[in-house]
Amino acid sequence: MTAARTGWLLVLPALLLLAALTVYPVAYGIWISFFSKHSFFPEQQFVGLGNYAAVLADEEFWRSLELGLIYSLTTIALQLAIGVAAALLLNEAFPGRGLARAVSIFPYVVPTVVAVIIWKWLLNSQFGLVNYLLGIPVSWMGRDWIMVSLIIVSVWQFFPFVLLAVLARLQSIPPELYEAATVDGAGAWRRFVHVTLPQLQSVLFVVVLLRSIWMFTKFDTPWLMIQGGGAETYIRTLPIYTYQRTFAYYEAGRGSAMAVIMFLMLVAAAALYFHFWRREEQL
Amino acid sequence: MKTIPSVAALLLAAVLSSAQAQKVIRVWHTETQPNSQEAVRNIAKRFEAKHPGVKVEVEALAWGDLEGKIMASLAAGTPPELSHGQPITCAALQSKGLLLPLDEVVQALGEANIWDQVKRVCRVGGKQYGLVHAAGTSLLIYRKDLAQKLGLKPPRTWADLVANAKAFTTGGMYGITIPGDNLFINILLGELLKANGGIFFDRQNRPQLSSRPMLETLEFIRDLTRYAPPGWEGHGYLETFTNLYGQKAAMMYQGYGRGAGLIEKGALPSMANAEHFDVWVKPVGPSGREPAAQVDEEPWMLFKGSKNPKEAVEFLKFFYQKDNYLEYVQTVPIHLFPITKSLRADRDYQATPMIQRWKSWIEVQEGYLNNDQGKPTLVIDWDDMNSKPYLMEVLGSGILRDMVMDVALENKSPREAASRAQRRLEDLLKSKGYLK
Repeated sequence: MTAARTGWLLVLPALLLLAALTVYPVAYGIWISFFSKHSFFPEQQFVGLGNYAAVLADEEFWRSLELGLIYSLTTIALQLAIGVAAALLLNEAFPGRGLARAVSIFPYVVPTVVAVIIWKWLLNSQFGLVNYLLGIPVSWMGRDWIMVSLIIVSVWQFFPFVLLAVLARLQSIPPELYEAATVDGAGAWRRFVHVTLPQLQSVLFVVVLLRSIWMFTKFDTPWLMIQGGGAETYIRTLPIYTYQRTFAYYEAGRGSAMAVIMFLMLVAAAALYFHFWRREEQL
Repeated sequence: MKTIPSVAALLLAAVLSSAQAQKVIRVWHTETQPNSQEAVRNIAKRFEAKHPGVKVEVEALAWGDLEGKIMASLAAGTPPELSHGQPITCAALQSKGLLLPLDEVVQALGEANIWDQVKRVCRVGGKQYGLVHAAGTSLLIYRKDLAQKLGLKPPRTWADLVANAKAFTTGGMYGITIPGDNLFINILLGELLKANGGIFFDRQNRPQLSSRPMLETLEFIRDLTRYAPPGWEGHGYLETFTNLYGQKAAMMYQGYGRGAGLIEKGALPSMANAEHFDVWVKPVGPSGREPAAQVDEEPWMLFKGSKNPKEAVEFLKFFYQKDNYLEYVQTVPIHLFPITKSLRADRDYQATPMIQRWKSWIEVQEGYLNNDQGKPTLVIDWDDMNSKPYLMEVLGSGILRDMVMDVALENKSPREAASRAQRRLEDLLKSKGYLK
């Protein structure tokens, strides 16, 4: 009994910190989603589910959701493809591999604001290096290309996360498995499909889950892309629109309702993901 | 042994007394150009030297950061003593009783010595709640050398301007460059609507986006942007200047006097002058009667609830004293017009070399200001400043920008785009209780 009490006492500071820093803000966010509340002034009025009804009836919300899905699904697919390919390459022995590994994680350690500024210079429609090399005047920050630009920057920035996770797992796959497959006559492709991929399954599960959450809620990269120019309307993803509702329309209640809906969407998507993953495992 | 406690007590007393004596004035401003920042810091240092025990903490903020930072500081109950702000922000904060009047500063400057136009900003019930730090207006800048070569005349109407834009568009040169970001599209729409005799809202706060002047304005923007560089909607303000002096565009509708400095730095040395980059008076819309421009004149605001408002008032009086104010406005002379008649007429000010070099730019701005043709962003009539405290939210919402983009880029008819924006604006105003 005393030991249990001591245990609780020891855990208590951590629990209090967690409650103060995580539970309280989330609970407060949910609470104010039921109010019509100015973002900075104490004016507020209880509106029940009014904010939720207004959000669901708002065509801009659905447009932002669509843009957010295009952005997150495309970037996740590309990050996975490039990250896995780069990990397979860097798992092979070749001269300069250490340097290549170090360089490949460079985009992930560059602060987002620096990365976006660099890319905006590179993609500048009048004087950018990319257009100079292509030899054609593409308006990378205009309506037709800004989503592509955002995807390029995001994939460049975040594929090293996939690379690191997959490379770490690749290095721990027992070489005997490959030896046995080779003895059985499996070529490189069949070794990849029947040995490597199954071994990567668990790490890819986590990577896809984390990257989905992070890309769907990504704020800084798209926000920085539209600072000082950039066709904002065409990359106004859900986090951007939520921010604007809260800090440009000054509607904290409605912004919170949007954040709660975003959270519920992520929970539902994660639950489905887990469900299918378990079913897959059972098969 | 007794000396240690005595010394400690003395030190404590000294620390406490210095903490009590040190009064801090926090000043937030938006003149982020390095020489302007330095001028404000110099003025602050001189003020500190004259007022021992007072410290001035100056912070230069980018426009995008300012509104949020002001609001957050007010919500936290720790506003700065002084800050710049948009005129419509000043009006919104005054309507909520968050500002203190600056009448003492006005009296110190001499009320008759301040330009009438400037006194209309954030003035409520005869009290001055915002005092403009300096004024400038938007400008239609054009390539004078090319216009002469093509035989183009100053545009009197929007149709003339579109025709000029078409004539300028040859080879790698586009007729016009316009920033596509939210703030500048709101500024553009506001001044065009003014130049076309329209209004955004009626007296009951109902948006008037489907009115004839607005539909004509949208048609004009669609026609004009046909001669803008592809992807113009992604260009920021600085990029449009790069287009102009980089010889990619021949006209710039949303230019400012500050741009003269950019041209002197960025254009070819042989072209960096008013003989190549001059300004035209902006043309009038089909339903309008006179030109209109946006006046860029952020007021200083003094916050209720700040710790040292009296000292802040003294600082502002000091800021506007001739030598200090002259140093400040000379950092961007073609953009920061003094608000006092005395300084504008002053020989030292008039002798500023840059003012000599870009005289026509000054004259056009003076014309807008003297004829009351310049108004702050989204303000059509001075009365809007006080009767429409929601303009700040309208600007931030991006609804007007979306309407313009729907017409210019999405091939929607002006009526279709306007009715969509009308619906959104009505929702916004209803949710805030301004519209029944």
